[in-house]
Amino acid sequence: MAPADPVPIETSHEDMIHDAQLDYYGKRLATCSSDRTVKVFDIVDGEPHRGAGQTLKGHTGPVWQVAWAHPKYGHILASCSYDGKVLIWKEQQPATSGWAKIKEHSLHAASVNSVSWAPHELGAILACASSDGKVSVLTFKNDGQWGADVFEAHAIGCNAVSWAPATRAGALITPTPVVPNQPAPARAAPVKRFASAGCDNVVKIWGFSEETQTWVEEDVLEGHTDWVRDVAWAPNIGLPRSYIATASQDKTVLIWTKDSPTAPWVKTALDPTGISPTGAPPATAGKFPDVVWRVSWSLAGNILAVSCGDGKVTLWKENLKGGWECVSDITS
Amino acid sequence: MDSLQLFPPLHERGKEKAFVQSGRTLSATQSPRDSSLAVFATNAVEPKALSALKTAYPTQQDVYTASIDLVPSSERRLFITDTSVIFAAFQNLMKTVSPEDTSLLSQRDERTLGMMTKLALDYVNFTRECWVHASQPVKRVVPLQYDAAHYRSLYTCLSLFVVLYLPDSGFEDAPVGEELMEWLNIHFIEPSSEEGDLLSSQSHPWEDENFWPYLTKTVLRGLSKASVFFLNTLSQHQSEHLQDLAERLAPILESHPRLIQFSTERDFVVAFRRWKEKVKSLRLELDRVPEDVRHDDFADWWNHLSGIVGILEGRQEVIRNICVDLGSDWKEVCSAWGVFIDHRLRRQDLPDVVSQIMQDMPPDPTDIEDMIHAALFSGQLTGALSRAAKLDVWLAAHWADMMEPLELLDARVDEESELSVRQQYVLAYAQYLHSDPALWRITVDYLCSCGPIGRERADQVLLRVPFNSKFQGGHSPIVAEVQNGGLRSSDDAVGVLNEVIRTCTEYERESARRMVSQIAAQKFLQEKQYGLAISYAASAEYWTGVGRIVDSILTEYVLHGPEAFAQSVITVAPILQELRAHPDASGIFIHRLMFAVRYAEYHRRRLNGDLHEAALDLLAMLQEDIAPKTWWGVILCDAAELLKADGTMLFSPSGVVQLLKRLEEVHIRAAQGSGSDYLSVLMKTMKGATEKEALQRLRSARLALAKSYARCTMLGAGGREIPGPLPGV
Repeated sequence: MAPADPVPIETSHEDMIHDAQLDYYGKRLATCSSDRTVKVFDIVDGEPHRGAGQTLKGHTGPVWQVAWAHPKYGHILASCSYDGKVLIWKEQQPATSGWAKIKEHSLHAASVNSVSWAPHELGAILACASSDGKVSVLTFKNDGQWGADVFEAHAIGCNAVSWAPATRAGALITPTPVVPNQPAPARAAPVKRFASAGCDNVVKIWGFSEETQTWVEEDVLEGHTDWVRDVAWAPNIGLPRSYIATASQDKTVLIWTKDSPTAPWVKTALDPTGISPTGAPPATAGKFPDVVWRVSWSLAGNILAVSCGDGKVTLWKENLKGGWECVSDITS
Repeated sequence: MDSLQLFPPLHERGKEKAFVQSGRTLSATQSPRDSSLAVFATNAVEPKALSALKTAYPTQQDVYTASIDLVPSSERRLFITDTSVIFAAFQNLMKTVSPEDTSLLSQRDERTLGMMTKLALDYVNFTRECWVHASQPVKRVVPLQYDAAHYRSLYTCLSLFVVLYLPDSGFEDAPVGEELMEWLNIHFIEPSSEEGDLLSSQSHPWEDENFWPYLTKTVLRGLSKASVFFLNTLSQHQSEHLQDLAERLAPILESHPRLIQFSTERDFVVAFRRWKEKVKSLRLELDRVPEDVRHDDFADWWNHLSGIVGILEGRQEVIRNICVDLGSDWKEVCSAWGVFIDHRLRRQDLPDVVSQIMQDMPPDPTDIEDMIHAALFSGQLTGALSRAAKLDVWLAAHWADMMEPLELLDARVDEESELSVRQQYVLAYAQYLHSDPALWRITVDYLCSCGPIGRERADQVLLRVPFNSKFQGGHSPIVAEVQNGGLRSSDDAVGVLNEVIRTCTEYERESARRMVSQIAAQKFLQEKQYGLAISYAASAEYWTGVGRIVDSILTEYVLHGPEAFAQSVITVAPILQELRAHPDASGIFIHRLMFAVRYAEYHRRRLNGDLHEAALDLLAMLQEDIAPKTWWGVILCDAAELLKADGTMLFSPSGVVQLLKRLEEVHIRAAQGSGSDYLSVLMKTMKGATEKEALQRLRSARLALAKSYARCTMLGAGGREIPGPLPGV
């Protein structure tokens, strides 16, 4: 397919789309909208498959985000909504029989803004961020039972959550040889950690304490001067250190890096000079032309997509000198 | 910076502001499968504020797909796949060199170097073929993705690299001038054959204004045949001086000593000195021509001839000025330098000469190919690479791959990125390849050549190759084969899945192999392909998964009855044998699987009317402790059903006693409050019956068994032979 001729997928959503997520194989697209539905489309060779896709109805308010679970758990989607609920959906067998709501989580007192599945190594665990200022962590067990940890995270409200990779950054440097037909070597226990972004202008890092069996606030990343709209922890494939990207109402994107488990988080702001629509430098140095709403990393963690309120998506890459460059932009 | 525009556009040109003012912006999600993005319009204001904005949104809510990279298509795909074969051969060659001996040059490993040169020439020849192919003026169904000029640029760069950095064995320290001139003549043909044809068609070609420039160029390029041909035409010129000089010049050009004609450089140098003497005497003769006869009606022939003799004399200024007059560039001067000015010019001396020439004849900064040539001539390999990456990431990757073992590139890993220069370029190329998921196999080949980071990225590619769980061949891959890299090609059931697993095995990506197998097991389980599900779960050593699959198989019985159950176990039975041989496959699930297989076998026999064998199976399952306690209730009811179905004596008295004993145990345990341990499955098969109802059913089973026992005893007491099973069963 020539990239110049992308074929749009007609979602038939009746109102604004708030999120779209591709599944593990990039073969299915889930979208959610103010029309209170979630839809799932098959994508074949980069193009939408014939047919209208499937509509998942269950929410009673706008649906903000969707998240695909790891395929080892089957075809499972999580969605969160203004209605304060998180719904878990499972595709029924055969696939033609559609999707069924298998769980409903309604422990939040206000809109749930973000959902994120933990790395599969940790099990089927979902973190949810709500306007009630709390974060909830749902753990699904093999027997169909589930548990929930709900705790205060950010006063006023919590906008986003993102999990740390299960293996520590830099773990590649001394790889353990794996021999076929031998049991997998004992690895260090996977890291149970995530970041949350809040209306209190900070990002918090939460770690699970095996000792107390509770989530403990490990770090507070201070740097934004307004609401933090999104947070994205980079996959650490081939990255020697940990990276977190945050997007804020203050029109900045900060990249937080941590060189080692004991090192502090160091922040760098993306410099959007030259990407404003008029080509003119931004009104304030280091600031995007408008609020930055979303940030997301590519699979290898080397490309950051930034969605700004100026109508553009920009793609950023770290150059070999450690600086960040805008490599591409997408306009409507 | 690249720019992508949505097509069809979300709004009319110039309406960007209105789009933003409507409270919307673009958002994108990156595909894990390739370098594509799904782009959509979304809210850019607080969701609550959206409704307050008095703007009508289009009813259509589309999601666009876009790609960051130009996805390889048409001839480019062929180019990528074909050159990947050369790359693979190169990697194999490098594997034969032990890590301590990576410094090929210092080792003077001529055989390896020779093979490297051969492979480098394969790249050269292949790019030439692509150029020729792309140059053909044919109507194409699919337009070329890269034009002929692009492949030509790759061709010139690669062949120059071979000339400068991969000389033939024994020529590393030989003069390079002639090879450079040959490279120039192949790639930058001057003067054109059209010019020659035009001149040769004239009876007095010197009357043409192009005559002398043409002749000068042929001399400068060492094209002695063409030079001599036109010098011979001067025998018709009116000037006797010119006739005479042309006659003397022709043999000098023809006898210009070429390195290739000599077995030692010493002989070459001696011959060159003698030849220079002849040039010198020609100059003397030229100078003797009276000033007033040095021109004709068309040109100042003496000056042109003097220029030509100046070239042969190796006069730096003359050659430079002639090149400027003829519109030639630094490459021409450089090549002529090695032929005429310093015929002993070595490769290692070239950077100094080039920098001298470039001071007043710089390369064209707008011509990336020229800049790459300049970097190669100047020995600035990192510069050549960074420019090559701009021309084509393919070139940078394959060059870096060759440069590192040749010690032209620092092989050290950069502290910041933890990558070597070679790895950076090869990874960048692999990233480009990843834009086409169908090229996953090649992408993995390139990634796996890039150390731990590359291999980890390869895992991600391997994990995300979508596979069709519907096997074409319908064969069940047995555990051992799955572990050893999937099915062999001789098997007809080779699918993408097994190709992925084979690739994982080939590159020793064990954790990826296990994860792929685990996901495959999950998929097969969903589709109720239990045999395949168990095979893949076992090959991933995902024993809890195997346990879950066995549970699902047993659930088939509860939900869909014995026929469906027996059918679904057919594909599982052969795997049980394999699993039992597996050193780690111990534990409860194997036991349960064994039960599932035996129990299915029982039902198959029963359904086929082979009741005696079926009865034997049933008893054996209890006696050998194969049947889990939770299934005892079901089995005991089965036994009673068997007795009802057949009037003959299916069980021996001892067998009936066994069954009655088990029945008794169930009743006692139930009375003690542990009934569910024995009756849970039976209760499920009775559509959610209570324990009481299940016990009630067992009571009727006890009656049937008791009757059977009484009959056995009676017949036994009467001294008649008991029909049915063999005694002792």
